[in-house]
Amino acid sequence: MKPGSATPIGNEIRRLRFEHGEMTQQALAAACGVTRQTILALEAGRYAPSLELAFRIARTFGVGVEQVFHWKAAVDDAPRS
Amino acid sequence: MAIRNAAWIGLLAVAGLATWLLVAGPDRLLGIDTGNAGMVLLITTTWAALYAISRMPREGGEQAVVSPGEWKAWIGLGFMVVAITYFLAHVQVFAAAGPFDNPDANRIGRNLVMLLIAWTILSSVLRSRWQGEVEEDERDRQITRQASGWGYGAMTSYVVALALVLGFSPADRLEWATHFMIGNLLVLSLMVACLFEHAAKAVLYLRDRS
Repeated sequence: MKPGSATPIGNEIRRLRFEHGEMTQQALAAACGVTRQTILALEAGRYAPSLELAFRIARTFGVGVEQVFHWKAAVDDAPRS
Repeated sequence: MAIRNAAWIGLLAVAGLATWLLVAGPDRLLGIDTGNAGMVLLITTTWAALYAISRMPREGGEQAVVSPGEWKAWIGLGFMVVAITYFLAHVQVFAAAGPFDNPDANRIGRNLVMLLIAWTILSSVLRSRWQGEVEEDERDRQITRQASGWGYGAMTSYVVALALVLGFSPADRLEWATHFMIGNLLVLSLMVACLFEHAAKAVLYLRDRS
């Protein structure tokens, strides 16, 4: 998935951040070892994370990956390069 | 606020003067090498701008931020634009004698090398702004990978174009193509690749934020 293009993977990061004591993007980024801009891009649906980052984010919130990320049915289901 | 704006406008004006001295100004003014003076002035204004940026408080809103990778891309792009413009503005000096008896070419080469060294130093100074923070992650690496494709493409196109010009031009039209000139034009291909890579990076980061 190219950065900047829409991704078919949706996420609940923003909701989970607020449910975890209004955790800031910076705090989540530091916990996952990425930049704040990557969290920003993830929340905006412009970037699909690697499997490793997806697990890191889920572990930070103490939930499973499938509770953070989901496949967006509305987006084109055709495989992307 | 008004003082800060005036300071930024002042810095911009000095940077403009420095670029003019470096690229289009006379070779010497009152016995001073204007290229050298322009370069020192440009590096000083860049350093002052970066220092001012590093002293600014971080924005409160979570949306208005530029990542370390994007900063590096824009600074690299700026330096490469200045370096290539300076090179092209003085390219005719490389058509003359070789490096050992061509003081003008030596002066241009020295200024270019100093400009690139200054860029490296400024980049490391800038790194201190993100001390203790993540500077690069998987998204940055993905952007870098995409951008390096643009750099490679630009360099390939440039080298092919140069080869075609040298290979198909009649000999009487290639008087400018001394060994020294061709050597320098090949160095320029590396600079062009670098320029395209930084430009692509900057655009990708910008697109990612919009």
